[in-house]
Amino acid sequence: MTTSVTSPLDRRRHLTGMAFVTPTLLVITAILVYPILQSIVLSFGTSSLDGSEPYQFVGLKHYAALAQTERFWNALGVTLTFTALSIPLELIMGIGLAVLLNESFRGKGIARLAVLFPWALPTALNTLMWRWMYNTDYGLFNAVALQSGVVDRPINWLGDETLAMLSMVVVAVWKTSSFMALIILAGLQSIPRELYEAGRMDGMTRWQEFREITLPLLKGPILVALIIRSMDALRTFELPFNLTDGGPVTATESLSLYAYKVMFDFIEFNFGAAIVVVQFLVIFAMSLIYILTLRNKD
Amino acid sequence: MTRNRPRIGLYTLAIIASVISFLPIIWLILTSIKTTAGIYAWPPQYLPAPVTFQNYIDIFTKSPELLLYVLNSLIVGLGTTIVSLSLGGMAGYALSRLGMRRAGVLMVFILAVSMFPPVSLLPSLFQTFLNLGLLNTYTGLIIAHTGLFLPFSVWMLASYFATLPKEIEEAARMDGMGFFRIFWSIVIPLSWPGFVATGLIVFIHSWNEFPLALVLMTQNAMRTAPVGISLYPGEYAFPWETISTATVIAIVPILVITAIFQKQIVGGLTAGTGK
Repeated sequence: MTTSVTSPLDRRRHLTGMAFVTPTLLVITAILVYPILQSIVLSFGTSSLDGSEPYQFVGLKHYAALAQTERFWNALGVTLTFTALSIPLELIMGIGLAVLLNESFRGKGIARLAVLFPWALPTALNTLMWRWMYNTDYGLFNAVALQSGVVDRPINWLGDETLAMLSMVVVAVWKTSSFMALIILAGLQSIPRELYEAGRMDGMTRWQEFREITLPLLKGPILVALIIRSMDALRTFELPFNLTDGGPVTATESLSLYAYKVMFDFIEFNFGAAIVVVQFLVIFAMSLIYILTLRNKD
Repeated sequence: MTRNRPRIGLYTLAIIASVISFLPIIWLILTSIKTTAGIYAWPPQYLPAPVTFQNYIDIFTKSPELLLYVLNSLIVGLGTTIVSLSLGGMAGYALSRLGMRRAGVLMVFILAVSMFPPVSLLPSLFQTFLNLGLLNTYTGLIIAHTGLFLPFSVWMLASYFATLPKEIEEAARMDGMGFFRIFWSIVIPLSWPGFVATGLIVFIHSWNEFPLALVLMTQNAMRTAPVGISLYPGEYAFPWETISTATVIAIVPILVITAIFQKQIVGGLTAGTGK
């Protein structure tokens, strides 16, 4: 970097800054930037894992094959369906929980912990808990459903294509509404009280207050929460991995899970790299859409 | 808001939300203290009868690898937290307080790369780690997790340093202190709440991380808790009495940390999102 450094103090400040930033940039380059670039390179060629076979450029061959692979389109569809179903539900639950936690009442500490726990626990283990409750023969849900007489045969929660997807959405909503709620709650708490007092002077009902004061001011935090959560949903991995292993057949196989299987079960790294590059582009496109929407609304 | 409005609705909602949140965890704990016969009984046993701690004793005596998974998670989580706080602290300080040129561009760059999906890193990371002999090592996974969570640490700590009054550093410079000494003996001691909040969230993220831990630790003995428990083999069916017990053991550290530090964690998670 060429800078017009004037005083010795500025020079020392500049050198210290560089020395402080360099280790972080090195780690980020090694773990995030270089692997993405290498994934792109891998996706345009053939190579062997241990480097014994030299890299050969094959152009768009893997992408062309991908376009012909039904399982890929299925995984893309599963990922988009899962995202489209879970994000709106999470948002509604998140706003509800945030409004609830913004009130003051006795026992609020416990309610806040209840909201925080699903977020704090590992998704993989949360998913196991739910898989146990969904269990056809010994699960809690079927026990209650059968004993109360709602159904006379056990429901195959994870064995039916539609039910398995819905079951997966329920786990995601349970796990992540809390994150939405916390971000929206922070936004709620920054709204000045006077606005509501003015609203009451104008004779607004609570619903009008919510629609005309609260919601418009929450646009920023809601968009941030939507971006972060949509990116998470589009790369969901351990949830189908642990709940259904992508099944029945491939009804809940997300892009991440499909890419993982291609790479580590079928050991096709170059083809797998093409899948993750496509996934990366989908996520990138989605973030862009959100950001443009955010800009237009301002 | 009106103070004397009936609060029954509010309490009902709060109780329903809490019950739904806690239900899977409570059901898991109840399962772990049932006998095997009780777990698979019909009619179903909602409350354990009798209560037994045999499953916990069995884990210690018959499947100690499940405890090893928890130990692995602890080592990786603590290592990741320490490295992320050290590097993230220095970078955050440089980017927020040392008047670096292009600091803003660097911050956006760091934020942008943090959005890469972890699975897209796998083909390359697996190959590189294989060739460098870093698969199945604590060092390897700590480096990988540090890479994933450093961007968050840099942003969190930079925004914390930005709230400190500049006069303190200026006074220290008058006294002839160098930039490194100012950072080490003035800024860090003043910023410990920021370090605590950041460290807690990084630790929880590392403890919970799945795809990289799955792929970079291929030996059973090196697996972290979420991965090891998920892949725990059953002879003919998933052994729920063991799995539920192991899961309880693996989530207790996170539950305790979350319960004690909930204010710091919530503060850290929501920092900056309101703007």
